[in-house]
Amino acid sequence: MSNKRIKIAMLIVISITIYGFSSIDSLIVIPLGWGKPNYDFTKNPLNKETVALGRKIFYDPILSRDSTISCSSCHLSYTAFTHVDHDLSHGINGKIGTRNAPALMNLAWSKSFMWDGAVNHLDMQALAPISHPAEMGNDIENIVAQLQHSASYPNLFKAAFGDTVINGARILKAIAQFELTLISANSKYDQVMRKEPGVHFSTQEENGLLIFRKSCASCHTEPLFTNQQFANNGLAMDTFLKDIGRMKITQNAQDSLCFKIPTLRNIEYSFPYMHDGRFKKLSDVLKHYTSDIQQSSTLSRQLQQPIILSSDQKVDLVAFLLTLTDKSFLYNPIFAYPQK
Amino acid sequence: MQATTVRFQPYWITQKLKLDTNIITNNTSVLEISKFRCYISNIAFKKNNVVVWQEPNSYHLIDANDTSSYSIKLNMPATLIFDQIHFNIGIDSTTNVSGAMGGDLDPTKGMYWAWNSGYINFKLEGSSPLCTTHNKRFQYHIGGFSIPFNTLQQVDLPVHHTTNINIAIQLDQMVAQIDLEHQNSIMQPGRAAVEFSKKIAGIFRIKL
Repeated sequence: MSNKRIKIAMLIVISITIYGFSSIDSLIVIPLGWGKPNYDFTKNPLNKETVALGRKIFYDPILSRDSTISCSSCHLSYTAFTHVDHDLSHGINGKIGTRNAPALMNLAWSKSFMWDGAVNHLDMQALAPISHPAEMGNDIENIVAQLQHSASYPNLFKAAFGDTVINGARILKAIAQFELTLISANSKYDQVMRKEPGVHFSTQEENGLLIFRKSCASCHTEPLFTNQQFANNGLAMDTFLKDIGRMKITQNAQDSLCFKIPTLRNIEYSFPYMHDGRFKKLSDVLKHYTSDIQQSSTLSRQLQQPIILSSDQKVDLVAFLLTLTDKSFLYNPIFAYPQK
Repeated sequence: MQATTVRFQPYWITQKLKLDTNIITNNTSVLEISKFRCYISNIAFKKNNVVVWQEPNSYHLIDANDTSSYSIKLNMPATLIFDQIHFNIGIDSTTNVSGAMGGDLDPTKGMYWAWNSGYINFKLEGSSPLCTTHNKRFQYHIGGFSIPFNTLQQVDLPVHHTTNINIAIQLDQMVAQIDLEHQNSIMQPGRAAVEFSKKIAGIFRIKL
């Protein structure tokens, strides 16, 4: 074996040891204990060229009607693919949306998309911002035509799909492929759980984990830190936005004010928080859960009883939440803007 | 194998549908149809209520903007004996949750809802003086696959063994069942879409 091959073999051994082996797809590793992804990779098997194409499209403002907004405008890699410091998402012509851009990671395990679960499959998710008048204000037909007329895209589609045909399905599958590679599983929390040598929780973090498991984990369930359900977490309805959440989709009154339970991974970087970005700091979030819950008929069962935390416990809980930061994910150059 | 052609032709009473053309309706008012599209899927043939052949990967968009879409060629065994044709109007729930697909199911066809995932099964747009809307328009985008708002319709029609099957889509019969004055827009899954969808199957008829 050449030196290079030995290095690759060693890398594979290391990644198997760290993450567990993936038989789902050769381009991603499935972290140990995460269970089978919800995404059906047999219908869209990853390949290097398609992931690269998806990444190029993700970062290309050609998707928006006036070529000003790309996916990354609201989903920045360095902040866990959310729009840091913006409560509501921005679109073309300075338009402001009604919801906070969610962080993007571990999407292969997601069962639905958007705060209200409006989208049922990762492939189809991109159609929502593409067509929304306050986001990209475009339509997929128009994007197909533009990519067909571009100098670079036909060859990239050929490399990815075998011929230069560009259609809606291929564009969406390519974007999905890039998004599927966005796996964050190497936070301090993950390293401690994998019992990596030399990595330990501090006493504060350890206390925080216990508080978390008692008071938060039934909705923000490990290891994804979401149980993928929808819940009314006791926020007062914003009187301007008047957002009823999931009820808009199901037309079922029991879903009034219910929103997707988001992952807490990389929460240090994904502020502001909540579906409308109303909280800037984690301390605001804890204040909400411990003292500002609004009673209503659809309030989550888990929040019917008050969560009582001392100020020390709040500090410990935040210390634990910060262990969910995964810098190898946030600063991974293969997820960032593709440099030539 | 032999090629059987099933032709779906939209009609207004006895006239083949012409888009953007004045149609004099029964009550002598004028109506225009500007858009008509629907999905035909899961085409199968039955003998004595048992399926004897079904088309693989059977998804077809019928689009009045492209009359070549009206004819569907089926490669089926020449010896097949059947007494019924079966098809769905719309897209089944499994396909609705299976991600991006090309061909007639490509999301560029204007038959997919981006903000409430799912296919539009049946789309009818036009104008009528009965509508008090902008430009007197009516727009019916009928879809939805989740219980309790499933709008997929199944159709069985008697057919004789023949190489060409002509099916008429009687749009006049659809419009006759709609209260254009009070319900001129359905654009999302829900109760109204389900009620509308129940009227769709009956407008598909064998044209002898």
